[in-house]
Amino acid sequence: MDVDKLKAILAALQGTDVTRLTWVEGQETLDVRLGHPPPPPPATVHAVPVAAQVTAAIPTPPSVAPVPAPVEAPPARPAADKSFTVNSPFVGTFYRSASPDSPSFVEEGQVVKKGQVLCIVEAMKLMNEIEAEQPGRLVEVLIQNGSPVEYGEALFRFEPA
Amino acid sequence: MFHRILIANRGEIALRIIRAAREMGIETVAIHSTADANSLHVRFADQSLCVGPPSSKESYLNIPAILSAAEVSGADAIHPGYGFLSENAEFAEMVQHSGLGFIGPRPEMIRLMGNKVRAKEAMREAGLPQLPGSDGVVHDERDLARMAAGIGFPVILKAAAGGGGRGMKIVREKDQLVQMYRTASAESLAAFGNGDMYIERYVERPRHIEIQIVADERGNIVHFGERECSVQRRHQKMLEESPSPALNEKLRERMGRVAVEAMRKVRYNNLGTIEFLLDERGDFYFMEMNTRIQVEHPVTESVTGIDLVREQIRLAAGEELGRTQKSISMKGHAIECRINAEDPVTFAPSPGLITAYHAPGGLGVRVDSGAYEQYRVLPFYDSMVAKLIVMADSRPAAIMRMRRALEEYIVEGIKTNIPFHKSLLVYEPFVQGRYDTRLVEKLLAENPG
Repeated sequence: MDVDKLKAILAALQGTDVTRLTWVEGQETLDVRLGHPPPPPPATVHAVPVAAQVTAAIPTPPSVAPVPAPVEAPPARPAADKSFTVNSPFVGTFYRSASPDSPSFVEEGQVVKKGQVLCIVEAMKLMNEIEAEQPGRLVEVLIQNGSPVEYGEALFRFEPA
Repeated sequence: MFHRILIANRGEIALRIIRAAREMGIETVAIHSTADANSLHVRFADQSLCVGPPSSKESYLNIPAILSAAEVSGADAIHPGYGFLSENAEFAEMVQHSGLGFIGPRPEMIRLMGNKVRAKEAMREAGLPQLPGSDGVVHDERDLARMAAGIGFPVILKAAAGGGGRGMKIVREKDQLVQMYRTASAESLAAFGNGDMYIERYVERPRHIEIQIVADERGNIVHFGERECSVQRRHQKMLEESPSPALNEKLRERMGRVAVEAMRKVRYNNLGTIEFLLDERGDFYFMEMNTRIQVEHPVTESVTGIDLVREQIRLAAGEELGRTQKSISMKGHAIECRINAEDPVTFAPSPGLITAYHAPGGLGVRVDSGAYEQYRVLPFYDSMVAKLIVMADSRPAAIMRMRRALEEYIVEGIKTNIPFHKSLLVYEPFVQGRYDTRLVEKLLAENPG
């Protein structure tokens, strides 16, 4: 099926009450579901990608104890992408290592265990270790070492290991 | 002078502070909750930081998060605005201990005025008149008669254990005093299990008048005249004006002078407002002091032509006042209406999405607001969405201008109290300037809905 035809089908569905359409043409099957997408079966087209709302991270007062980082889905990512982010639990300064001379806690590509320290967010002179709340492979470090971070700001992107 | 100010507030006052700072060439840092990410104060600040979730306790009242935001943003001073942490002496102290400037008075001034009993004592010592009354509980009937004679009739008997208007009796004649005291005391004993009574001068038609104080760090103090704040509903101000229709030049001069003298005695610094109760005879009594910028400061700015937030920042940075009382002159008349997201009849809050918005304009009209089309009025915070301020040569002209501006104001999608203000602006006692703190109650009783 070409893209123009697909677009035309989707356009025709806009504003109607149709929630599901199965289109069979020769070898091709098109299954369109509008509204809340279920887990993707093969050859499924999501007519309306539902943006995952960024929910508020769990507020944690600064403390010296390791803080489990809030984990949540990134915004507007297709459901097929199982990656997830680790967000800052408070406003502060992001550090990838325990001191300027020590190695980074984690590197891109590395697989981390639940509870492993990922970084430090310094707030009010307190070094707060941020731990992984679930295991995963680190895809991307989203913040530069030593930069300020906001409450709820995404620090790392992981994918299931 | 400060280089970068963090504003520990939201809404119109955060925007107001950003405006003053920008005009002074000072950089601004906005803080916000996750719910306020699309606010104008976030958009217009040089940088912004999200400090927490929607609940005020975890964002705009979250002292560690705010101090951390000041640190990572490189701010050298914090402006607290009004509400939230603006009158929190511990916060002011922590700001100073972090090596930052606090834009407000010294923490001990905030602490003194925050304790209503201590504030009254200190202001009595500093020479501010207070409502005459028994300093404590009335002990016996002879005591009572002596006190009442000293206070002068009418007096009000208040149950020590009462509250919310219960256990109160107004005594207009000397002959009724003992009888009414016995009744009130017995009623109070039955209702609250305590028959102790206080006695105070009763003010039939009180007006709420406040004096704006401006002081530097070196003891130079002036006042910027008064604001009339008697238009209130359940102690919430709805409309303010300056000058007050109740004050003549002599009374204004006297109120201003005693206020400045008292402030000199306690060595007050930065901006502050002294609230007085004015009775029908022209006697005034100290009520309380606010140690921050007031919501209604624009009416004073309109008649003096001086930017009060700029003064606040300048003085907090240690600059000299550079003004004498003589150099401050009030010109014309200003009125402010607080536009709230609430039902104009029931006064129930009305948060939601603003679907259409048009603010009034033209000569002498000012709108301080964080609202815009598609702005969502959030249920987590105060319901005030805008302040509409008008300025004209005279009070009648200002009233005409406010009526015209209210007609132009369009806010759709939520309910506002604009219809209430329209009925107030044509209500005869208001138009005549002959009103007291019971004006709104009277208006609502006469024109329900």
